[in-house]
Amino acid sequence: MGATVNDFVINVATANGTGSQSSNLILLNSLFEMGVPVSGKNLFPSNISGLPTWFIIRASDKGYQAPGDRTNIQILMNPDTWFKDIEKIESGTVIIYNENVKMPVEREDCLVFGLPMTKLARGINPKMAKMIANMYYVGVIQHLIGIEQDALERAVNRQFKGKSSAVEVNLRAIEEGRAMAAEGIDWESPHVVEAREKDEDTFLVDGNEAVALGSIYGGINMLSWYPITPSSSVAEGIIQWLPELRDTSDGESTCAVVQAEDELAAAGMVLGAGWAGGRGMTCTSGPGISLMSEFIGLAYFAEVPGVIWDVNRVGPSTGLPTRTQQGDLNLLREASHGDTEHIVLIPGTVEECFEYGWRAFEYAERYQTLVFGFSDLDLGMNNWVCTGFEYPSEEIDRGKVLRTAEQVSAIENYGRYRDVDGDGVPYRTLPGSGLDPILYRGTGHDEDGIYSEEPDVYRKLMMRLKRKIDNSRADLPAPVIREEENQDVGIIYMGSMENTIQEIDDMIEQTGLKVSQCRIRAMPIHPDVESFIERHERVIVLEINRDGQLYGVLRKELPNDLASRISSVAYSDGMPPRARIYADMILETLGEVKP
Amino acid sequence: MRPVKLNVIDLPKSDYTGGPSSLCPGCGHDQISGVIIQACWENGIDPSRIAKMSGIGCSSKTPAYFLGKSHGFNTVHGRMPSVTTGANMVNKDLVYLGVSGDGDSASIGIGQFIHAIRRNLNMVYIIENNGVYGLTKGQYSATVQKGSKKRKGAPNEQPPIDMCKLAINLGCGFVARSFSGAKKQLTALMKAALSHRGMAVIDVISPCVTFANNDESYSSYGYVKDHGEELHGIDYIHHFQPLNEVDIPEGGYEDVQLFDGSVLRLETLSSEYDHTNPTAAIAALHDAEVDKKHVTGLLHHNTEMPTADEDQGLVDTPLCDLPPDMLRPDREKHEEIMARFRA
Repeated sequence: MGATVNDFVINVATANGTGSQSSNLILLNSLFEMGVPVSGKNLFPSNISGLPTWFIIRASDKGYQAPGDRTNIQILMNPDTWFKDIEKIESGTVIIYNENVKMPVEREDCLVFGLPMTKLARGINPKMAKMIANMYYVGVIQHLIGIEQDALERAVNRQFKGKSSAVEVNLRAIEEGRAMAAEGIDWESPHVVEAREKDEDTFLVDGNEAVALGSIYGGINMLSWYPITPSSSVAEGIIQWLPELRDTSDGESTCAVVQAEDELAAAGMVLGAGWAGGRGMTCTSGPGISLMSEFIGLAYFAEVPGVIWDVNRVGPSTGLPTRTQQGDLNLLREASHGDTEHIVLIPGTVEECFEYGWRAFEYAERYQTLVFGFSDLDLGMNNWVCTGFEYPSEEIDRGKVLRTAEQVSAIENYGRYRDVDGDGVPYRTLPGSGLDPILYRGTGHDEDGIYSEEPDVYRKLMMRLKRKIDNSRADLPAPVIREEENQDVGIIYMGSMENTIQEIDDMIEQTGLKVSQCRIRAMPIHPDVESFIERHERVIVLEINRDGQLYGVLRKELPNDLASRISSVAYSDGMPPRARIYADMILETLGEVKP
Repeated sequence: MRPVKLNVIDLPKSDYTGGPSSLCPGCGHDQISGVIIQACWENGIDPSRIAKMSGIGCSSKTPAYFLGKSHGFNTVHGRMPSVTTGANMVNKDLVYLGVSGDGDSASIGIGQFIHAIRRNLNMVYIIENNGVYGLTKGQYSATVQKGSKKRKGAPNEQPPIDMCKLAINLGCGFVARSFSGAKKQLTALMKAALSHRGMAVIDVISPCVTFANNDESYSSYGYVKDHGEELHGIDYIHHFQPLNEVDIPEGGYEDVQLFDGSVLRLETLSSEYDHTNPTAAIAALHDAEVDKKHVTGLLHHNTEMPTADEDQGLVDTPLCDLPPDMLRPDREKHEEIMARFRA
């Protein structure tokens, strides 16, 4: 039987803080350099050093990016998970292990190869042995699957940023590993890579860096943040890029950065910046959103623009801080007490992370409200193939701000909260302008911003706010729809599920059903979502959480006749979505709803 | 008709007033509002350049009652400092005047109070300190002294958080305590705070006439009158009219140079008090607490520290006024960045 080409999953089992990340990224980048469609997932613990970590690399000519349903090549480096890792391995798997762990690998049914990686590494550099040991499995894999030397060298150079001593030492270890594998392995590898034509425009980047760059292009003026996994690298990305992209030639900054004392303060600073006429943003994860909720309601009610990025981790509570989920949607959509609703942008690709990074500010100022960017750990912290970031297609637009006395007097009976244009969005003046000053407040207020508890005034204000956000529907990113001619089954999904949907789709279509896809990219729901549901008899709402939060939002927002047409498939175990689990659940659900 | 008196920027005092107060008649907070109006007017600050910031509580309602020509933000409970921080970052040129209370600042918002001081946010932070939560009908706050008793219920048994002590410990560059009834002293301190660059905290004991103006309450009018201890007599000398209205004191005095060129003249009553020495201020506050007294005046002054906005190294133009081309890298730069990703 011939080897499979460009269709395998490598799983590296190691411990946090042992330096295997470099080796794993070198493997990932080597494949990428060869033009092989590849994805990498880092499953790391909430810990700095010592707890188990797995890195999953999937090569797939079909472009599948999910972790895959089985491992084809297992690297064993971590004594703590050794036996559990071995137990999970399916028959026929390639196992590469570190002999210096001094633990047995008793799997006659697998293809097994060991090297004394730590000891060999000590021969190169005793102090760095723990790190360099990881390079030996890179060499073994290079031999087994046939990674081209120049692709490997480019990846090593990229990883060590061309630092010649590091490049040289690591290449030496890889070469030793490769040579020993060539000498010691007497079986054929069941998996190989073949170079594909590489699209020279593509590169690997994580979603958080894309959001960071997008925010900078969106004219961010104030970043406030409180460190929390998995969002910190959004802030750190902004901080890293600001000097080059946003300082003047004199080295003066056009964006302030404040590390806040907590998430409450971070949100308060966003409101302060928006109130004063700047573009303020913070980034956080679910626990932070919980803490920010009071301010979120104030922004909604007092109509203050601002941007908050939520990079979702697993809740509830502290949950699984380093694992992924789409569990914050309900929270974002209606954060804070009373009747509220918020605009939520939901990127599903790194390109969209960049785009919504800048667009979030536009929407926030256009609708004078808080806008959420909703990403997750999988999209935010893993590397994805990117075709490039498109330069913003629209000029920066500050929305309805009155900057001169003439502009104010041109409006008959101006008031901060009066709906002049009938679109629910009033005009505002800024502090310092001297124009029609008001005291912003979270208490009930009339159209002039004056305190009021009048029933009619309150009711009118709340209905205008509803109309305002409702009017954003068609203006927000439309869903991405991939529709079949036979409209058997429609799947509605969002965010990082984009990376698994095609594999799920293919699995379901093996049963003969035709599957259409509709990826929601914003809340409130775009009108195109309704028409998609109308065209499909059976519609599944697919998401990475327990309760079907997107399903719940749709049930609430859709007209009754459409609401009854959708079914929920929701599953979450902290891992990035694996296609088989979701495909089976969808098939089961379809069986149930079949007439 | 008598001509209307104008200030140095030709504005009448009526340009600094606000709406009618809805606080209880006789509330100390209304006196403080009056002092704010007076100080801002006399200092000739353009009201459109002032940002009134507040949290939640009786005190935080008062921005509606002064400076009607200034924008303001009545935020959420205890969070005025963070909103002010965000606003200050994008518009460093406004005069930030924060009004808070002892519940707002010493309990729910103590973290934000502390961190705003730590950053040396350029603002005036007024604490209208009455020892009770007024709007929720008279519960003790965290600043009330041990043994003090409000109109109803048992005396307070917990030690107080002294906001001035806290501010001094945190390195705040301007810390004062005053009394809402001490109009001359409070006005001079308010004007000095407005002339200071950086965080200026004024803790103003302000009797709650409804829930704690009984003699057993240490923040009642009667008690403060009998137990107040002024560190010094005080005069504020405007930089734009240096010799007007100020008597040369007979005894010793010391001039405190303020950021905008104005001077705070401290007429020395206690010759050993050094307002530049934080430990002296802490000692004075400690002694007052032991004696169940209130020491008032400029407790501490220091101008050495950079402000939060200076720390940022920002362009001179307020960030909210920057043109679009300064807010987004151009296409050429974008191509360069993309090429670097692709390399």
